Amino acid sequence: MQNEITLQTRREFLRSTVLGSALSWTVPTFLADTFMALHGEAADSATQIVTGKDATILVVLQMAGGNDGLNTVIPYANDYYHNARPRLGQTVDKVLRLNGGIGLHGAMTGFKNLYDSGNLAVVQGVGYPNPNRSHFRSTEIWQTASDSDVINKYGWLGRYFDNACAGADPTIGVVVGRQLPESFFAKTPKGICFDNPQNYRFMSPEHPRPGQTDMTEAAYEKLNENAMAVSDDNSGASIGSLSAGMPMQGGKAVDFIERTALDAQISSDQVRSIAARVQNQATYPNSGFATSLKLVAKLIGGGLPTRVYYVSQGGYDTHTNQIATQQRLLADLGDSLKAFVDDMRAQGNLQRVLVMTFSEFGRRVNENANGGTDHGAAAPMFIVGNKVKAGLLGKYPSLAPQDLYEGDIKYNVDFRSVYAGILETWLNTKSAPILGKQFEPLLVV
Amino acid sequence: MLKPLSKDGWNYETAAHLLNRAGFGGPPEEIAKLTDLGHDAALASLLDYEKIPDSTPNPVWAVPDLGRAERLRAIQAMPPEDRRNAQQAEQRAQNQRIIELRAWWLNRMARGPRPFQEKMVLFWHGHFATSVEKVRDAYYIWRQNELFRRLGTDYWLRLLIEAGKDPAMLIWLDQAQSRKEHPNENYAREVMELFALGEGHYTEKDVTEGARALTGWSLDRDAQQFIYRPGLHDNGIKTFLGLTGNLGGDDAMAQIVKQPQAAVFITGRLWNFFAGLPPSAELNQVLADAFIENARCFKPFLRVMFASEEFYTPSVIRNQVKSPVQWLVGTTRMLQCDLPPGFICAAMLRSLGQDLFAPPNVKGWDGGITWITTNTLLERYNDAATLVQGMTQQLTASDFARKPGGPGGVVQEKAAERIHIGGLDVDKILTPEERADKGQLVASLQHRLLQSTFSNQQDQALRDFLDSRPKLNDTDIRNVVRLVMSTPEYQVT
Repeated sequence: MQNEITLQTRREFLRSTVLGSALSWTVPTFLADTFMALHGEAADSATQIVTGKDATILVVLQMAGGNDGLNTVIPYANDYYHNARPRLGQTVDKVLRLNGGIGLHGAMTGFKNLYDSGNLAVVQGVGYPNPNRSHFRSTEIWQTASDSDVINKYGWLGRYFDNACAGADPTIGVVVGRQLPESFFAKTPKGICFDNPQNYRFMSPEHPRPGQTDMTEAAYEKLNENAMAVSDDNSGASIGSLSAGMPMQGGKAVDFIERTALDAQISSDQVRSIAARVQNQATYPNSGFATSLKLVAKLIGGGLPTRVYYVSQGGYDTHTNQIATQQRLLADLGDSLKAFVDDMRAQGNLQRVLVMTFSEFGRRVNENANGGTDHGAAAPMFIVGNKVKAGLLGKYPSLAPQDLYEGDIKYNVDFRSVYAGILETWLNTKSAPILGKQFEPLLVV
Repeated sequence: MLKPLSKDGWNYETAAHLLNRAGFGGPPEEIAKLTDLGHDAALASLLDYEKIPDSTPNPVWAVPDLGRAERLRAIQAMPPEDRRNAQQAEQRAQNQRIIELRAWWLNRMARGPRPFQEKMVLFWHGHFATSVEKVRDAYYIWRQNELFRRLGTDYWLRLLIEAGKDPAMLIWLDQAQSRKEHPNENYAREVMELFALGEGHYTEKDVTEGARALTGWSLDRDAQQFIYRPGLHDNGIKTFLGLTGNLGGDDAMAQIVKQPQAAVFITGRLWNFFAGLPPSAELNQVLADAFIENARCFKPFLRVMFASEEFYTPSVIRNQVKSPVQWLVGTTRMLQCDLPPGFICAAMLRSLGQDLFAPPNVKGWDGGITWITTNTLLERYNDAATLVQGMTQQLTASDFARKPGGPGGVVQEKAAERIHIGGLDVDKILTPEERADKGQLVASLQHRLLQSTFSNQQDQALRDFLDSRPKLNDTDIRNVVRLVMSTPEYQVT
């Protein structure tokens, strides 16, 4: 009985705070402890208790397909560049100049604005040893932060959740998309994902009139609030033998699903309520990607206790007709991000938010015969926020033929140094247990 | 030694458990029939599938496409615009076949006469996890699937050698590119780490020496089959897992399978798949011993395993999270209804996290509780409504389009289409008496769908729903079935 009461309390608590008044955003300690006990996790000193309004937030932005870094952060005064890019090369009058030799692609006015206002860091020449040119495999390497010849089962963000967020709410990680990216794979799976908040719910066939109860929905809720009521039944000897096999502290498979079912009910209510209640406070472009960022902004504004949001924009695999495609994508990316930053500023949340972009690889230095570029290696990353070390970080990689590796740009910065910097200085956790070894953290904030 | 299940341990519950795990479950009549057979005969009816005729025809395109390599070469030589179009057309054709192949296989699981054989194919697909995302040839993918069907319960050595020589694997782990000057170590490493021994049971030296031994295993892309190319083989002396000589690929595989750890590794994987949790070290050793006693042949080993008391302990029964495939196929078997159209099944499985022929990586699906996230759980609950209540809908071309940004998965590209899912035929699963009495109705559905019972609170929730309906029509009953499926309890087997 006791358990049923605390469970009910948790649900009521989350409903009344997140959905109702915004008075109390900080979880009282006694309740936080109860929640962790409910999750069956041992209290862990590394655990980061996350609350709605104070923790830092990371937004990971995937540029899927392999963005041509060379035509994004452009060495417009470099002869090797123009020799390699007779058709695609961007001249000084086309780029948005950052300094005497480097400029942003002309479509990136949003980024230029962020750069000028001190909100943008450009990490130059990011990659990893023995680069892989397969989309599939290189994406996996970035998502799992593995060496290029090692296959990791879990993602770097998943390992962050495992290491630093035990007992946290499932909304600790939010993916706007249809599926969890590999970076979220974890020993104890966390994170929710949805592309349309209106579909992130139990669908009932009924259409009750106001004041009427939706009996299907009511039955669903009762059928799924059973968690813990039966937990005494399986507290016997069988748990000992089970615990070795289950990535959680004992218990039966159905117990885990019961907890997840309750999490689903609660987060579904939260997400839909926030999406309906919170208004965006900036004007975004009209694109699918912008829609995703608008949703992230709403969820942040609504106080969801999330530490990592994940959004992706596809289409960068520009083997042919690169000029038009990249123009469109980079404009969308920059304008959307600029609006997002304005939105965060208007909300008063900008100092809590850091955006990181990545792409599975850059493209070859030499353009191909089809007005495009093929799969390459190192490329820049962007870090956006109020507290970033703004400006150009690292060194622009050399394009001299003798400095290339099989025609590709060699990396100066291992992407895991960027991850390490973000984990240590932004998410405030040790990076070595998450990345498998100690990488020198690149101080991005 | 595994202890055989006692005579009185064999009953409806244990029979249902066997059918769920060694197959994909079934309706009460099928379980009752299995119970009546007795344990040994029940096992024989599942395991000795060679005696059951299976007349499922192969996909019409499941033959070597002898012109494909030539065609791909010709495409490479085309001017850019034509090349792009031709490549896309080629890929579309392959994608279409993969969609058909998924439906073909799911139908074998759901409707075919040999559920255990298909369960083994599913095990091996997850074990030798190979993705069409890289292989990009539906014939090769079908061939590998058929190999698992042919040798799935055979000798471990035979299967391991054949799986390594199969074209899909030769491409998937780059063995096709290996030559004596630059031995590619990918297959040598993964065959030990992921397929046969496990991490820590070989050295880096074994990887490089194994890769040398494997040189010569290659792919004849014109004939679309394995070829041994003596010119690519390293004829030097290698030392691999303690054996020294001018070793070839077959020798290396034999040396792997001979390792005591090999028996521990593969029986542990099998136990995990069928029992739903990894065995204790002690049980794992017992399983390995049984495997070696049975000449490292899967069929006799699995017969002993499925006959053992250990397989029917309470911590095993109803404690496995259903994989998406088990969930989908099992549902149609228990409810005696048809699978939805192939591309709907594929879309469901993809969003539930088990895109057949496109596992997330060479490690395959993690399985277990990782199948369940808040979104896949809600997805299961909502897919249950689609399966049970049926639907008729006009889809547009954009509904079929590949969603950008998401990982993997071949998606059908096609024009607008009207889809129809019939839904559940209520009278097929309920007697008039059960329909007339709410208590009997709830009991019957629990018996069929859970082979277990709900808590009192859950029972009451279903009764409250039924009481809110003055007269139970088919839609109401389908709704109750969907509610039973929308519970944590339905997600385990």
